[in-house]
Amino acid sequence: MQNNIRKRHGLSPDEARQLCLKILDVARADHTRVNVTSGISGFTRTAMNRITTAGETNNVTVRVTSVFGKRVASVDTNRLDDTSLQRAVRDAEALAKLAPENPEYLPELSEQKYTEVDGYYASTGDLTTESRARAASLGIKAADSAKCVAAGFIDVSAGSQAVATSNRLFAYYSGTGVASTLTIRTPDGLSSGWAGNEGGDWNTIESERIASDALRKCREWRGKTALEPGKYEVVLESTAVGMLMSWMMVQFDARPADEGRSFFSKRGGGNRLGEKLFDERVTIISNPAEKNAETSPFTNAGQPIQREDWIENGVLKRLAYSRFWAMKQGVPAKANPSNFIMSGGNVSLDDMIKSVKRGVLITRFWYIRPLNPRIVSFTGLTRDGTFLIENGKIARPVTNFRFNQSLTELLANVELMGPSVRVASDESGAAGTPVVVPPLKVRDFTLASVSDAI
Amino acid sequence: MTTNLDRREFVKLAGAAGITAVFSVQQTNAPGPDAAEKDLVLTALDAARSAGASYADVRITRGNRESIAARERQITNVSKSETYGIGIRALVGGSWGFAATRELAKESVAATARQAVMIAASNDRVNPVKTPLAPVKKVADGRWITPHDIDPFTIPIEQKADLLFTTNEEALRVKGVRFVNSSINSIRESRLLGTTEGSVIQQTLLRIGPNVNVTAVSSDNSDFQTRNASLAPRSAGWEYVIGLDMKENVLRWAEEAAAKLTATPVQAGVWDLVLRPSHLWLTIHESIGHPTELDRAMGYEANFAGTSFLSPPEKVLNKFRYGPALMNVIGNRTEPGGCSTCGWDDEGVPAQSWPIIDKGIFVNYQTTREMASWISNLTKVRESLGTAYGQDWASIPFPRMPNVSLQPNLQDISEDEVVAATKHGIYIEGDGSYSIDQQRYNFQFGGQVFWEIKDGKRIRMLRDVAYQARTPDFWNSMTMIGGKSTYRLGAALNDGKGQPQQLNAVSHGCPIALFRNVNVINTA
Repeated sequence: MQNNIRKRHGLSPDEARQLCLKILDVARADHTRVNVTSGISGFTRTAMNRITTAGETNNVTVRVTSVFGKRVASVDTNRLDDTSLQRAVRDAEALAKLAPENPEYLPELSEQKYTEVDGYYASTGDLTTESRARAASLGIKAADSAKCVAAGFIDVSAGSQAVATSNRLFAYYSGTGVASTLTIRTPDGLSSGWAGNEGGDWNTIESERIASDALRKCREWRGKTALEPGKYEVVLESTAVGMLMSWMMVQFDARPADEGRSFFSKRGGGNRLGEKLFDERVTIISNPAEKNAETSPFTNAGQPIQREDWIENGVLKRLAYSRFWAMKQGVPAKANPSNFIMSGGNVSLDDMIKSVKRGVLITRFWYIRPLNPRIVSFTGLTRDGTFLIENGKIARPVTNFRFNQSLTELLANVELMGPSVRVASDESGAAGTPVVVPPLKVRDFTLASVSDAI
Repeated sequence: MTTNLDRREFVKLAGAAGITAVFSVQQTNAPGPDAAEKDLVLTALDAARSAGASYADVRITRGNRESIAARERQITNVSKSETYGIGIRALVGGSWGFAATRELAKESVAATARQAVMIAASNDRVNPVKTPLAPVKKVADGRWITPHDIDPFTIPIEQKADLLFTTNEEALRVKGVRFVNSSINSIRESRLLGTTEGSVIQQTLLRIGPNVNVTAVSSDNSDFQTRNASLAPRSAGWEYVIGLDMKENVLRWAEEAAAKLTATPVQAGVWDLVLRPSHLWLTIHESIGHPTELDRAMGYEANFAGTSFLSPPEKVLNKFRYGPALMNVIGNRTEPGGCSTCGWDDEGVPAQSWPIIDKGIFVNYQTTREMASWISNLTKVRESLGTAYGQDWASIPFPRMPNVSLQPNLQDISEDEVVAATKHGIYIEGDGSYSIDQQRYNFQFGGQVFWEIKDGKRIRMLRDVAYQARTPDFWNSMTMIGGKSTYRLGAALNDGKGQPQQLNAVSHGCPIALFRNVNVINTA
């Protein structure tokens, strides 16, 4: 995928395999699994128009999982000398012998077939401290020139992960992640704007666009006035959609559905596979090979992660089954999604706004937390740019709101969709689980109360 | 083993106005530094100084964790982990650089120190700034260990599993209860700090986090309800788990989970609230702990955790009325059992306690060495209040919340008296859903168990309750607080802040308290 002039960060396939074999060689348990995670992380942080901190860390973590019969235990260490590794193996084995049996344990996997994925971008892996500082300083300069105040974060990771089992499984993945986010505020604290990017490839991070968009939002949101809470038609920018939808990812698990504690549980027993639950334009997939949103194609246990269609045209098509639950239900095992990709449409954000008679444009959210798991409802707040739309135009900036909203209702209430993009959906600004979503126009979104926060 | 002041002494201090701080005391019987580790720390400090750092601090930390978890009648996790390495923070000009490595050979430690200096120098070239650090007294041989009776790592895993199984089995006896998850996390952090100013401090922090979560499901699968026990993590040994009586208490938690299925849906509207410490600690954390962080107030967290409504300092310090005169809140890294309790912070500043809200008035923030001078003209405090913390060797230290606690009433008012003073209200136990805006105004909290109070008596269970309020309105609606017999600690091991995000363990003590006319919503 990339012309790698410099060595990749993290252990190479050979180094990872050798390390795994060294551990498996000394293992005495019935089954042993080794997970190796290695690489670097780097960051540059700004606030008050200065670089406040920057740093780099390298680490290698080894997890040894030992199994006797159905007794399982694991030990993690980042000490790689022979003595320490042997001690980790002996500790895991001793702990496993003491552990009560786990009746759901299934033997370690043997060799598997995986989707080929290379998620390592040299543009990210080779990024220097100076380059990060220069990119960060664009935000500072934009804020300075407008007599505003910038706070930003560039997060970089590059490395590899591997899993090996005593049943001869070995899997390896190498990848990078980068996120750049920026908040620009007026010095009187009366306005705030945000912009960000996330990807695997540093070349997709638009540092200048981020600086100008954060400043634009900050300018446009100034002078906000009150708007009464209530149910509104809303236009959600793609970041706002991504922040909500990343909470949907964990819902696609068959077991809680079958056990009666999920939105996907069927009254009277079983789950709702095959039912049309959402607007017919809603299609949600996951795919470890998605460009600039790559993930490892295997789980920590070595189970393959493949492209899966979870929701197709509003119908629940797939639920994830752990190996145990799949065996119990007599279906094939399916890993949970490792990324979240929602199909979009072709309506631009401007056209969405033009189509709204009276509604609210939302840039992004904050402090999203579960409220009622039975209806997948969440609470949280709007942030860094909230606007009233009237007769197809932005009428005025308005106060932030707390929302209380069922995500499943939201997916049933979609009106318009824009093109899907990868978004910086992690509230912390970390380069996290890839989320690719469109901007949406949605009806009946509950803005429950006003927030004075800016 | 402990040399901390006890809580009664803090209670007395809490009422005292002014800025007098109370410090923890050196423990002479705590373990000292490992000679090889100390040598590496000195190597790193030398290398940083030689490379041009005007100041550097170095942390070798070894974090150990043991986790055990069970669901119903089976074990789901038995694991141990260790993470060990060195982190070096260097100041060049006025810019910070940080580098960390797991490779603890002298050459790699020295190289990592030089890398930290190089990063600081790069930043200073691109963006030169000034960073004055508040004075701190050198501690040449500091030693501290969390006071405890029984090291949780000495308790065999079978004994822990047995406790979880017995607890789960008891819960499953209750009709309607189908699922129980229980777990115990034991944590030990060995932290060796060295600074170019000559401090060398070895601390061993112990924390323990038990959890029980019971789920009841209606017979037709149309509804399910959970009851989390809201067991507070604690800086303590295994004796804390023994004292929780999980096996005995789980029956009540399970019965409450089942009862929630048929409880009366709350009528949305304005209610009085009686909040137990198992619930109120989290409201304190979000609406007092975070907004009184000075770095937030000054914009350092604007891109993630947010800023604070308590800003600018000159407009709010000693002026802003947070709540009624009966409201006294202290920052306290010496609170016995507090998850943020220690001997010194990550800059070698002694653990201490100080008033944050005095008789309802906001009087001080939380500071570090870098931040103290920002407000010293207002507070007359030149020194740091000691809140620097990095979660592990790989993480740069920055301002983290100390234990922030609402002090009890000097009169020993009981829980019954608080309930009796409530004509029409909701009694809330346990922490539930929580969310607050980025300046800490608008919040919404759920809970675990809700009881309607009518004419001073708890009459029936309610469900689907959450309350929404604005921080100053909420605290000014507090009309009654319990005495010291109702004071308890709540806590979290996972308070997130910073970029890259770091987790902090922190406790909040409080008595039971009564709030008038709060907006309650129905979450169903």
